[in-house]
Amino acid sequence: MKGALPALGAALTAAVVLASAEPMPSPLRDEDIPRILAFGPWPPPPQPDPSNRVSGQPAAIAFGRQLFHTPALSANGRIACASCHQAARGFSDGLPRGVGLARGDRNTLALLDLDLQRWYGWDGANDNLWAQSLRPLLDPREMGASLEHVARSVRDAPGLRAGYRAAFGSEPGADDERVAVDVAKALAAWQATLRSGRTPFDEFRDAVAHGEREAAAHYPQAAQRGLALFLGRGRCYTCHLGPSFSNGEFHDLGLPHFAEPGRVDPGRHGGIRKLQQSRYNLLGPFNDDPARGSATSTAHVALEHRHYGEFKVPGLRNLRDTAPYFHDGSAATLREVLRHYSELNEERLHADGERLLVPLTLSPQETEDLLAFLDSLNELPAGSAVPGGRAQVDEAVARDRTAPAAPELHRPDVVADHRKKASAIRRSRQQNEPEAPAR
Amino acid sequence: MKTALLAAVLAAAVPAVRACGEALGADAQTLAADGWQLAWRAAPSPIPVGRHFVLDIALCAPAGQALPATLRVDATMPEHRHGMNYRPGVSARAEGQFRAEGLMLHMPGRWELVFEWRDAAGVTRRLAQSLTVG
Repeated sequence: MKGALPALGAALTAAVVLASAEPMPSPLRDEDIPRILAFGPWPPPPQPDPSNRVSGQPAAIAFGRQLFHTPALSANGRIACASCHQAARGFSDGLPRGVGLARGDRNTLALLDLDLQRWYGWDGANDNLWAQSLRPLLDPREMGASLEHVARSVRDAPGLRAGYRAAFGSEPGADDERVAVDVAKALAAWQATLRSGRTPFDEFRDAVAHGEREAAAHYPQAAQRGLALFLGRGRCYTCHLGPSFSNGEFHDLGLPHFAEPGRVDPGRHGGIRKLQQSRYNLLGPFNDDPARGSATSTAHVALEHRHYGEFKVPGLRNLRDTAPYFHDGSAATLREVLRHYSELNEERLHADGERLLVPLTLSPQETEDLLAFLDSLNELPAGSAVPGGRAQVDEAVARDRTAPAAPELHRPDVVADHRKKASAIRRSRQQNEPEAPAR
Repeated sequence: MKTALLAAVLAAAVPAVRACGEALGADAQTLAADGWQLAWRAAPSPIPVGRHFVLDIALCAPAGQALPATLRVDATMPEHRHGMNYRPGVSARAEGQFRAEGLMLHMPGRWELVFEWRDAAGVTRRLAQSLTVG
């Protein structure tokens, strides 16, 4: 049912709705309303990438999807992008740390809503999606290929060659690097179309915005209490804000600093160094936008000591599909994530870094409420609708979520072995955490 | 180096002083101390959280004093004990007119915008303004 005051501002209307919602009063405060509204609307329109001349073009998107699922680009011809970025897992792999040709240091990031991001990877070493797509092709621990191998794979395979011709309007040329970057740009064009669907929270947020009392009342009380905590005492909102539930930047959460005993993961500090040395950043020669209009962040990013051990703030949509969590995959469940924030070891935080995190000491009820809120950020199944809601899921994305995975998917024995090792690492971490390096 | 920090002006926004920063428009914010006046305007405005913005700045010197050729702009979040993740670039547009680019306030809350320059005697002058975003 529409509110009675449609001509008034959204915030005021929303406040009226929440104040009068039945049957229970909302735990949310009036000052929460603008922040709730800022979590949407969802889905946002696709964001074109001016640095990628084939961004948004159907032929490039189709070619990118083809490339994403072929193992031909990897050094051994057995690993595809889809091997680790599995549609049914939110385009992640379910493992603590990614496994390609070898085991990596970090958790495999999901691939939804990438067009909304400023930095890519846990350390933000890339400032654009095509450079981020090229990185795993060349990483010896992931697909282990070379520029020459990638270019030759496209030239030699009739299907890929045809896809290249359709996407770029010409045959792949003799310049290996140019062809490989084009491959990455097609991969980026496809990945940028992967938009997560609407969630129960989006239904609630829109109901608040539009003064739809009955629809707003369908949002569970536990989720509303969790949202109030998220915006209030928990201060989660400080970093998890906007439609993606991320400020797109980097923070130190007091997690272990070691990728393995004796070897530190420098996080954002190393990421900025890699970014500034990369030929494929937005200030480099492969940016298709001569004006460099999207390169502001790259031109101004500051490298400071405090960036050691900082990692990207992930978005919070569809977390159900993307366990385990944190950059090192050290939290198997969201309950473990909340326990980390509840029992935070402040001594692990930067001595010279920001003073933001304190142990939340969550009660069992607060933990359940936060979990209920996070669960409401999981998208609704395709075709479903909540009472009074307007659930929609893009059909093309839904199709890709069910697409068959690449041939060299993780073998059950490899996965089981990896999970065993991850459990051992977690136990070791809990029992005997090494000292953090001096900062 | 001699340093004299001017008292930070943390008052809420007031209409721009006509004599300084008039070209920035009526919605410019102003700061003043020891005869120095500084007007600034952000674009976009209000300043959004987590997005880059630009500051146009006009600096006016006390009578008889020369204007600086350069100006430094920064922003910090005192309660969180950190600054921005980006280093702004400041370019002179005309005498006493500057543009700062590449700023971003990446978290909601109270920030302090800081403007620094050296006067003709080599004394570092500083004006600051508190603002809340998000």
